[in-house]
Amino acid sequence: MASRFRSTQASWRGALVGLGVSLALAASAPVAAQTGKLAPITIVINQSPWLAGFSRAVEAYEKETGNKVALDVNPFAGSAEKQRNSVRAKDGQFDILAMNSAWLAEFYHGGFLTPLGEIDPAYKVDPQVINYDDTAYWDPKTRTNNSKTGVPYGIPINGNIGVLYYRADLYEKAGLKVPQTWDDLAENAAKLHGPPNVYGIAQRAARSASDISYDWMPYLHSYNGGIFRDEKAGDFTVTINSPEARKALDVYVRMAKSSGPPNPGSYGQAQVITALVTGKAAHATPVIAAWPQMDDPTKSAVVGKVNVAPLPHGPGGKSTPTLGHFIGAIPKNIPKERQVAALAFLRWFSSLEGQTVYAKTGQPPIRRDVYDLPFMKTPEFRWAQAVAESSPNARMMYTVPEGPQIVAILELRLNQAVIGEKSTVDALNTMAAEIHDLMQKAGYKTGRLPDLK
Amino acid sequence: MGRGASSNGSAIGWRAATLAPAVAVYALLALLPIVNLLTMSVHDIRWDQGVAQWTFVGIKHFVALPADPLLRAGAANTLVFAVAAVALEMAIGLALAVLVSRAPFGRVAYRAIFILPILIPGIVIGAIWKLMYHPDFGVINQLAGLVGMTGHDWLGDSKLALASVIVVDVWHWTPFVFLLMLAAIESLPTDVDEAAQIDGAGAWQTFRYVTFPMLLPAFAVTLAFRLIVSFKVFDEVYLLTGGGPGTATEVVSFSIYRRFFTEDRMGYGSAISVVTLFVLALVIVLLLGAARRRDFQR
Amino acid sequence: MLPDAVISSGDLMPPGALRNGSFALNACLVLAAIAVILPIVWIALAAFKTQIALLRGDFVFTPYLGNFHELLFAKTADYFAHFRNSLIVATATTLIVLAIATPAAFSMVRMGWPRWVPAALLLFSLVFHMIPPITLVGPWYVMFRSLGWDDTFGTLIATHVVLNLPIGLAIMTVFVRDIPPDLLEAAKIDGCTTPQLLLRIVVPLARPGLAAAGILVFIFSWNEFAVALNLTARHSATVPVAIAKFAQEYEIKNGVMAAGAVLSAVPAILLLLFAQRHIVKGLTAGSVR
Repeated sequence: MASRFRSTQASWRGALVGLGVSLALAASAPVAAQTGKLAPITIVINQSPWLAGFSRAVEAYEKETGNKVALDVNPFAGSAEKQRNSVRAKDGQFDILAMNSAWLAEFYHGGFLTPLGEIDPAYKVDPQVINYDDTAYWDPKTRTNNSKTGVPYGIPINGNIGVLYYRADLYEKAGLKVPQTWDDLAENAAKLHGPPNVYGIAQRAARSASDISYDWMPYLHSYNGGIFRDEKAGDFTVTINSPEARKALDVYVRMAKSSGPPNPGSYGQAQVITALVTGKAAHATPVIAAWPQMDDPTKSAVVGKVNVAPLPHGPGGKSTPTLGHFIGAIPKNIPKERQVAALAFLRWFSSLEGQTVYAKTGQPPIRRDVYDLPFMKTPEFRWAQAVAESSPNARMMYTVPEGPQIVAILELRLNQAVIGEKSTVDALNTMAAEIHDLMQKAGYKTGRLPDLK
Repeated sequence: MGRGASSNGSAIGWRAATLAPAVAVYALLALLPIVNLLTMSVHDIRWDQGVAQWTFVGIKHFVALPADPLLRAGAANTLVFAVAAVALEMAIGLALAVLVSRAPFGRVAYRAIFILPILIPGIVIGAIWKLMYHPDFGVINQLAGLVGMTGHDWLGDSKLALASVIVVDVWHWTPFVFLLMLAAIESLPTDVDEAAQIDGAGAWQTFRYVTFPMLLPAFAVTLAFRLIVSFKVFDEVYLLTGGGPGTATEVVSFSIYRRFFTEDRMGYGSAISVVTLFVLALVIVLLLGAARRRDFQR
Repeated sequence: MLPDAVISSGDLMPPGALRNGSFALNACLVLAAIAVILPIVWIALAAFKTQIALLRGDFVFTPYLGNFHELLFAKTADYFAHFRNSLIVATATTLIVLAIATPAAFSMVRMGWPRWVPAALLLFSLVFHMIPPITLVGPWYVMFRSLGWDDTFGTLIATHVVLNLPIGLAIMTVFVRDIPPDLLEAAKIDGCTTPQLLLRIVVPLARPGLAAAGILVFIFSWNEFAVALNLTARHSATVPVAIAKFAQEYEIKNGVMAAGAVLSAVPAILLLLFAQRHIVKGLTAGSVR
């Protein structure tokens, strides 16, 4: 079956070539591919634009090392459930879990994963691998993602973040500059807003499993606001109805009303991307993983016209995209030999060699040094520098298992603010009350700010 | 009702043997999940160190249900959805079945055409109808424009969203009703029909007093199953609206999915399931009771 | 009265055909047919459009075969295998459900059980049918994994059988009840055993019910998603799982999904055409005379 990426050349010749290549690489790179026969492993992963790049890398690994890696490809909607079933069973089906940021917290808190140091005591995190808000680390005692007190549990395999897509051709015509603050963006969007042919900006203001909350988080964080006071330190005082948050939500809602389509409240990520590729939107902020659709003539009417910049920020804040990335982690409930083989693959994948293969397919690498390679500076990769610049500041939306419930609250109330069912102040106060209630019932150390007036 | 005319021993033997496979299938495969569901609904389940921790919480989940704002909206929407969609489907499906059974030509073609929508997987229906409903590019608004009507934001306008979802469901599921009603009509004895017509009854009277009462068992079964499945509606809502805008298309199965699966609150999600089951079972039993009483009066 | 068995299905005027109202009737049917078939045509066309043509709702477009290519021949594509799996599972499920439901229906309706037995079984069926399948997956996964069955057809067939048994039982009960009891009495007096009764009288006379139930069970099993996703892996996954992979996080590949749906409808349509011959009016009436 085509979805089983098994090299059929598991011969002595393959092993010898692998050995030779590895020795050569060992001289040039800090991380060498494992040689010899490691146990075959299965990776559970979802179908996505970056899967093609990932499979290419897997093939390269198999050819080089002779180790076998099979991919169990699932629809995104079912991937979490399958991973859940596997880790909760006595014996796991899968050896590497491609965990999306959405369910990272659940798996960490549930205690299903093996610290990488237990598999290989000599394991050290490669300094070139981007940190992604400490999500590869876990401290079981304080139950937080903390690189200082925790140890590595996984390795990033996809660095998906939100970025600003804008119509570079329209910018040139109107003489506009790339926006730095959200107010700059609002100004540019208003200038380019010309319904019904072009909307100034298409925001992901729909209510779903994760649309408007993901879209608005960068506003909140870049105004120096946050859902909680200090998650990493375990302080879950709810701060979502702070004055900063109010400014962040006001600018968001204003833009939707003045420069958006007639019903922004029904635009999910797919509709936003549709608006971009059909030329209907001058700006949008989907994730970088949507980039391949922009320059594909079978999918886009604006080939070559779109460019990417880091997300804007609030005054005095930094551009803070929200993470939508994937971490590759290894479950506890598989035999040691498969854990060893899994770690070997992850290390190869996150090495310079592995990431170069991956990045060449057009997906954002998870290593800093790859962004400096010459091919990443060509027009085809014009998105790369924005991503390199934004990645170090990217933040997680939540790090607790109650995350999806928090998101459900955010999605509903934020959407109500955009469609006019609630005022921004009312929406923020309601969210604060509901989230506080939730965290209290779940037993966290929490409190809240007084209602905004 | 024939009690076996042959020897009692073998009659009872066959009686049990013919029913046994069905009972066995249920006993082996259905009991366990039901018991599991009921058990989960009175527990809180958390995972720690890779191991499940079940904590008995009694009726805590059930008490929390009425206070859940999403559930209140969901219950109302689901009721409207179920009643409207099912009523339309039963009426249209039955009408089409009657018409096709009496059509002078093309019956084979009609049968094939009217069954088509149910062959398509729910996710494809949701995805394509979503495109058709698109306010800017959707074919529905384009066609409306051609005939001079204004287009609408079918899925984005809270006033229209639920109705738009109902339309999709009716299109998707009327074939189910059509197929069963047609099979029932076609296995009716034809002499009764003719006798009524010879007696001077018009088409509508024949239908109402002669044909329909004979279709009642099939009708009742179809209604019951349609009702049940409409409570479980998921794929279309998920892809069309995700429950929005606001809570305009939030349905109970959605809440169950979100609680049970996305939020990983299996205890609470199970409780919602159990309550929904009770309500639905009550409705179905009342409906079927009414149908059987009519049946006996014949 | 002419025996109706002489008149077969198809295009001859059936006994109940309205003569005067036939224009109105035909008009209604044609309009209904158009309303039903337009979205189907749209879906079929979508299979041949590029993504951008689909998103823009283009009426005029150049046909594009890339969707079928991606569905069938891409690196990560395994549609043929999924199609074969669906065929195996749906066919087996349908045959097993019919084989269990028909004798059970006969048993409940005509073999003198005390009233509460059939009532209890049918009520249990209904209640079980009400449970959302995702809540059933958990215990099933554990159960089948402990048997070592987790990537096999057996698992999917077993679960699909129990999921579809309610509708199978209900439909067959209705149609078996319509078989005149005197026919059965007469046959028993002639010395028929129960299996003979089932094969020689019940099955032929309940053919419309078997056809309807068969088509529905086949379709439901074929299109079932929640259980198929969780209880199968690479080897046994079915068509809906394959199609769902194209509803991705950032891009719903409508064209590819439509292509998948078009191909996946073919077996059901063939089955329908085959079963058509059995939803025929008149076969029952003939034997009563």
